[in-house]
Amino acid sequence: MNPTRKKRLYRVLIVFLFSISGISLILYSLNSNLDYFFTPTELKSVNIPAEKRIKIGGMVLEDSVKRYASEISFIITDYENSINVVFEGIVPDLFKEGSGVVALGFIKNEIFYAEEVLAKHDENYMPPNLDLKNDN
Amino acid sequence: MIIEISHFLSILSTGLFFLVGSFALTTNITPYTSNLISRTYSHAFLFLSSSFLIYIWLAITDNFSVQYIANHSNSALPTFYKISSIWSAHEGSMFLWIFFLALWGFIFNINIKNAEVLKPKTMGIISLIIVGFLLFLLITSNPFITILPIAPLNGADINPVLQDPALAIHPPTLYLGYVGFVIPFACSLAFLINGDPAAKWEKLANKWSVSAWVFLTVGITLGSWWAYYELGWGGYWFWDPVENVALMPWLAATAFLHSLSVSIKSSQLRTWTILLSITVFSLSLFGAFIVRSGIIDSVHSFANDPQRGLYLLAFIAVIIATSLSLFVSRLSLIKPSGNIKTFSKQSFISINNIFFVTLIFSVMLGVTYPLIYEYLYDQKISVGAPFYNAIFIPIVILASIFLFFSVDSKWSRSIDFKIFTKPIVLSLFFALTSTSAIYFIFKTNNIAILLTIFTGLIVIIRYLIEVWTALVYKKYLNVFSTIAHFALGLLLVSISFNSLLSTERALNIKINEFEEYKDLTIYFKDIRVRKDSNYDAIKAEFNIKDKYGNNFDLSPEKRRYFTRGQITTETAIHISPLRDIYLTIGDQLEDGSWIVNVQINFLIRWIWFSACLMAFAGIVLIFSNRKSNI
Repeated sequence: MNPTRKKRLYRVLIVFLFSISGISLILYSLNSNLDYFFTPTELKSVNIPAEKRIKIGGMVLEDSVKRYASEISFIITDYENSINVVFEGIVPDLFKEGSGVVALGFIKNEIFYAEEVLAKHDENYMPPNLDLKNDN
Repeated sequence: MIIEISHFLSILSTGLFFLVGSFALTTNITPYTSNLISRTYSHAFLFLSSSFLIYIWLAITDNFSVQYIANHSNSALPTFYKISSIWSAHEGSMFLWIFFLALWGFIFNINIKNAEVLKPKTMGIISLIIVGFLLFLLITSNPFITILPIAPLNGADINPVLQDPALAIHPPTLYLGYVGFVIPFACSLAFLINGDPAAKWEKLANKWSVSAWVFLTVGITLGSWWAYYELGWGGYWFWDPVENVALMPWLAATAFLHSLSVSIKSSQLRTWTILLSITVFSLSLFGAFIVRSGIIDSVHSFANDPQRGLYLLAFIAVIIATSLSLFVSRLSLIKPSGNIKTFSKQSFISINNIFFVTLIFSVMLGVTYPLIYEYLYDQKISVGAPFYNAIFIPIVILASIFLFFSVDSKWSRSIDFKIFTKPIVLSLFFALTSTSAIYFIFKTNNIAILLTIFTGLIVIIRYLIEVWTALVYKKYLNVFSTIAHFALGLLLVSISFNSLLSTERALNIKINEFEEYKDLTIYFKDIRVRKDSNYDAIKAEFNIKDKYGNNFDLSPEKRRYFTRGQITTETAIHISPLRDIYLTIGDQLEDGSWIVNVQINFLIRWIWFSACLMAFAGIVLIFSNRKSNI
């Protein structure tokens, strides 16, 4: 191989190595920062590490909303399984019993501690994986 | 009748645009033909704009025979919102998008002389893109469909959160930015088709690209501000998929402007600049696809229909495939002129471009990965702020450090690189002392924040020194570059302080009681029900005192709109230069107390101000006489 070609090959290799390591770094950080989404029924069948941030979605069970001071607790259900949720703060305008909700947070002792509660601004919004009729 | 005229005019313009496009791309360019192309384009635009103006007229005069207007406007609305109701949903926004697309082409047409070699082909490409979108509009999302025989009397109501001045301006500004990049895209393709390496498409496209970039910057900023005070999101950026698809073209456009400045100066990076011009426009179209197809849930997704997404996807695929194959087939045309010298301005801009591409790639991954993942594993996932922070913070810090050292570099010359020049030492010294002061005052161990503040400060101070030397020693100063990069430094510092100091808390508080939060004393004065023409509201009144002796009233509301039964939260914000006090009211508890959310947002105004300053820098460039800056 003549020297110019050799030099060029090295250059290509260096660029290639850098891009590969860059992309793997990005993918690594992507993988460690994913939020998985579960319905209460799916939750039964998976094992989630205590510190893992997840999203759960379902309907707010009727008559389950309780408020203590600035805390609110309610039950998210898919009408097969349910989970208790605790949240501190103001729930969104469209949050109400019997309608769809998505919460982001952690599970500890079978209770879901939500950091964020989302109710979609579209009144006909259904959380993914749920095909329930919602008459509001 | 008037509806049909409007409809007919837009069909007619589709035909004319098609004529312009096919003629311009197949014929030999002579002074006669280029004149013809230019005139025919103007006529096609005349038809399209008449059609659009008639449509606005239909909206103003409450012509509810038009189904779209009947569904999205109401006779009780003020005229301003009747007009803005046009872009409150899919069909009308698409119509506005196309009108703007053709408008950019028209302004280009009347500003550029017909003698310009690349102009006829550029007009042709723009026309064909307009045809693609017009067919999309007329076939899949026709805004002219009528309700016959009996039109509803009062129409529907537009979503109350959309009845807001910022939102009425935000989509048009953003669209002007998105579609404005059709000019550099068409110019670079015209250059490739034309096949003469001496033709300077970069010069032709320069100011147009900066203008589009200004609109995009302002559009994104307006959206951020609107979400903050109207949607009650209480922050400036949420990595919502639709924010991300607007951010990607912005990043690509910023990289493009940098690369363009190199290509104008020295014909280097020409291949790269062309590739970026294609990328920017493709990403703009991709944004349209993501928002319109509804494959991602977001605040912005309208009721969607899969046919639309499919059409757009196919259209984007055709555009990307055509432009890339053209690019590859003409690759030999654009020979780079010499290597880039180490430590020249070009070398720094090349590095900056690598950073930008990494950011775009990461955002793209964050947007598309959940879709791919769900398809492969049937498991819903989402990518949130932690991922973007992990990528953006280190890269932006690195990029700013390179920017800091690039200030001394010269075009096409490898300067004798000294690390310890006076300005560099001075800015490092000041930035280091201020950052340590911040470290001791706020007792933070957050390395990311401290580093961001530090890099933001070195950039700010370095450019202030530039301004100083320009004023005192009459040294040349690139005003555009200075303002834009100074704004970047300011943005970094404001964002850091915002995330360092801002706090929020949900309190529950009874009428006539006091509650303390941080340095605030919040007194709940009163709560009452009030009625307005289209909603009732619960209005709470608070009096707040802070440690600086300020005393002010804030009245957050909760409204229920009659037409849709929709409940909205009206935030109450006390604005001061340093911080916003941001109040929203929640529900009443059984013991009679109310939940109130208090946020203290530091320097949030400065974040938007920095973004506006960047846009202002762009305006400075557009109105400066020099051919290229940056």
